[in-house]
Amino acid sequence: MPPSIHPVDLIIALRQKHLTPAIVFLTSRRACDEAMESFEHTQSFLPPARQEMIGKVLRAVIDQYPSIAEHPLIPTVQRIGVAAHHAGHLPSWKIAVEELMRNGCLDAVFATTTLAAGVDFPARTVVITQSSIRKARDFTDLTIGEVQQIAGRAGRRGKDLVGFAIVTPSPYIDLTVLTKGLTGHPEAINSQFVISYPMVLNLLKAHPLDQIQPILAKSFAQFQLNQRAEVLERKLDELHRQLEPYGPRVCTDWISQWQLFDHVRRQRTHRTPVRRNEPPEVAARFHFLTPGRVAGLSKSRGVVLRQYRSKGQKSPMVTLLRHGGAITECPAAIVTEVFDHMLDCAEAPVYPWCTPESIESMLRDLEELPPRLPVLPILVPKDELIPDSIVQTLGDFSCPTCPSRSACQKDHAHASKLRQEQHRHTKAIQALRTSLWHRFQEKIDALQRFGYLSPTAHLTDTGEWARLIRIDHSLLITELVRADAFTGASPALLAAVMSSIAHDDDRPGAFPRISTGLASLLAQVRKLAESLSPYEDPPLLRADIAAITEQWIGDPTLTWIGLCKKTTMAEGDIYRLLARTLEFLSQLHTLRDTHPALADCASQAIAILRRGVLEELP
Amino acid sequence: MTTDELERLLAQQPLGVLHRLARGRVHRHFRAGKRRLIELLLRHSAENRAGFESDLLALISEREARPAIQPVRHQRSERPKTSQPGHRLHSAQHEPDHHEPAASLAAWLEGIGVPLPQPFVPDPWQEDALAKLQSGDVIVSVPTGSGKTYVAVEAARRAMDENRTVIYTSPLKALSNTKYTEFCRIFGADRVGILTGDRRDNGQAPLLIMTTEILRNLLYDAAGGEIDVRLDTLGLVILDESQYLADPERGVVWEETIIFCPTQARLLLLSASIGNPHDIADWLTSIRSTPCHLIKHSKRTVPLRAGYLHPDGKLTPLFRTIGIPYGHPVHLHPEAKRLFARYEDETMPSGRRR
Repeated sequence: MPPSIHPVDLIIALRQKHLTPAIVFLTSRRACDEAMESFEHTQSFLPPARQEMIGKVLRAVIDQYPSIAEHPLIPTVQRIGVAAHHAGHLPSWKIAVEELMRNGCLDAVFATTTLAAGVDFPARTVVITQSSIRKARDFTDLTIGEVQQIAGRAGRRGKDLVGFAIVTPSPYIDLTVLTKGLTGHPEAINSQFVISYPMVLNLLKAHPLDQIQPILAKSFAQFQLNQRAEVLERKLDELHRQLEPYGPRVCTDWISQWQLFDHVRRQRTHRTPVRRNEPPEVAARFHFLTPGRVAGLSKSRGVVLRQYRSKGQKSPMVTLLRHGGAITECPAAIVTEVFDHMLDCAEAPVYPWCTPESIESMLRDLEELPPRLPVLPILVPKDELIPDSIVQTLGDFSCPTCPSRSACQKDHAHASKLRQEQHRHTKAIQALRTSLWHRFQEKIDALQRFGYLSPTAHLTDTGEWARLIRIDHSLLITELVRADAFTGASPALLAAVMSSIAHDDDRPGAFPRISTGLASLLAQVRKLAESLSPYEDPPLLRADIAAITEQWIGDPTLTWIGLCKKTTMAEGDIYRLLARTLEFLSQLHTLRDTHPALADCASQAIAILRRGVLEELP
Repeated sequence: MTTDELERLLAQQPLGVLHRLARGRVHRHFRAGKRRLIELLLRHSAENRAGFESDLLALISEREARPAIQPVRHQRSERPKTSQPGHRLHSAQHEPDHHEPAASLAAWLEGIGVPLPQPFVPDPWQEDALAKLQSGDVIVSVPTGSGKTYVAVEAARRAMDENRTVIYTSPLKALSNTKYTEFCRIFGADRVGILTGDRRDNGQAPLLIMTTEILRNLLYDAAGGEIDVRLDTLGLVILDESQYLADPERGVVWEETIIFCPTQARLLLLSASIGNPHDIADWLTSIRSTPCHLIKHSKRTVPLRAGYLHPDGKLTPLFRTIGIPYGHPVHLHPEAKRLFARYEDETMPSGRRR
């Protein structure tokens, strides 16, 4: 058995049961195109009258949008009465298909599930072939809302008594997703509020900083955060109630008191301390008392010959060479200062621990040392961890003899769990209430660092124009403008860079060659984008995409067909790329007051860009 | 919660909870082991710490609540064995009965056809929406294809009759173009204008069509002191496909537009069926000067039936009932069930059954 029904058989089956016109949602654009190809060789032609009707409607649309007059799908559409409709097509072609559908001329349209929202025409039947769609780079199951959006296209008001949603399996379909989607209640929607740089700039332009928080509080995001906070607050109240029996006992805060006591008690049993009775400063100095070190004693100076720990007491000891050649063994504690000065000391394994020659030279050096020597800055560690000091004072706890000891011991586990939860909820509530404001402040900090905002959070001169750039990657674009990256660039170069910033699809393909000027400019842009990456996600900056725009603007005689031949990118994608570039360029055009040359360059690019197909639609 | 606390809390959770948490947050999370997953989640959580934490807490509390539910489920699944006929009959009165024979294909296909042409009579909910618009904002959440456009057109007509400007926004440029053509046909080309980023066709018309981004920019300009379009005569803003509020990339634009929409203008939000329209209505009521009315229904104008088409061309109903059994996804037609099971057997690589 084939893994899925053949499109031709599908249409035959639907026609037989009078279930046409139908919209068939397929996995990919390629599947739609292949479905269309499979019809090229069938003999199931429409009756001439219907073919004529399709021709009439098509001619009316072509009059309006001449670019689709030569569309390769027209013969199949006219003969068989099926069409494809997906994002790879020009908008004008999609309009033509929609128009045909509205007039009831077609039997079936093959569309991609991804663009279900853009399919704004009804049919008697929709055919669903999959249960997941590609979002970003992953396949995710359709949500109930999406299934209903798709199924919603079935049944034309005033033209059908009933609508049909037909599931036909293809590999990896999960029927439960679809049955749940058809019978379920749509999901709740959640706010996707993000704070962008242009938002911050525009808000601060219109309102002083102290009025911003109330404005953010008006967002649906905060509304939903508050809802969640309220749920937590109710839980918190419940916790309060549960904690009531664990109120103050002998000590007010018996939970933490017991926790500390318990902790200390446990630690102590596990500890077999190696205790050395040496003050911390001696312990710290001891590491520096290496052979050859000049050490200060209470009245004189000496040179360290060796260091060791005494056998019985394990206390730190040093062997010192003193003025006059005396070699003494003394505890390290008698060293009062450690100087930042070393003498050459040829060590020896036995007494007197160094060669006689070096003793002589050291004695000489010791005599000649200046009266003041720099002292080594030795950090004396603070007392050891606090619990340890508490361990030493375990006797201070009153718990062992406390009258409520047994009650504390019994209740502690439950009460401390409740209290931990209480703390967690309190913190979560606080975070929910203030997170938007914190995110806003983060953006303010970044904008201040770049000089768009003054330290008092007012717009600087740069900020005044930067707020007009309200598109994705606005920070990169304004920084490029500030860095004068486009000075002297031709309209083609400017548009090319803008399109590489605007394009966010990583679909591979074959593309025209890129000019050296554009390559070096893009390298600059890429460098800047990378340096901005802590503040803004860098765009893909595809050079191959930029090349398309460069060719379209650089050569005004280039036709649409000619451009499409230079790449394997789908027509609809090229259109969308150029349309988005147009949007970015028109944002640059708004900077005409402050950057007249750049705005002029952008408007030239817009004028050249808007030709042929791109002129047909507003 | 500090990062350390969060990390410890995450480490205490079973892997399943971590994967549920990672859904939609971490790319290809199913590939990661526990330690890696925690690392990725922590890295991600920096973006929206509060949301992340409360999701985590919700999952934990859900997990804690589950042991209480499971025994009940057990009882329920055991009940059919110890059959209690009287009880079952009583409870089955509201639900489609399991013992009723499944719908036949012929019955399922019956009724295809074109309805007799009838004079157009607006549905009660459409009238209701228009009436409520007189006293405040309105959000309409109805199934696709119920006639939201009628409400938009009538509301626009009434506002224009009062010499007020109307702005209509859609999420996609393609939809704007379609609506532009449609509205030109209804109101005449001189009364409809369209605004895009760089072009303005008939920008002085009383009914302006644009994408939501463009309206947001206009509102920002107005707030910054550069009054552009006659926002002071603005009487009605229609936001079509408002469920885009939940779009990960562009949803924020809808929120900005609604927050900054001038107070004297009425808002009309048109949305497909969503789960929590009352939340949006409550939100609008809380931030706007006039109350927001919710118009909501889930009944389709044209009834829908679901079918299953096997790859060999055999067509059967998908559910036991002729219509769609809302709320009962398991009431599958036995024939569809059998065919689909066979399909899965044949197409699944051996050893990789679901």
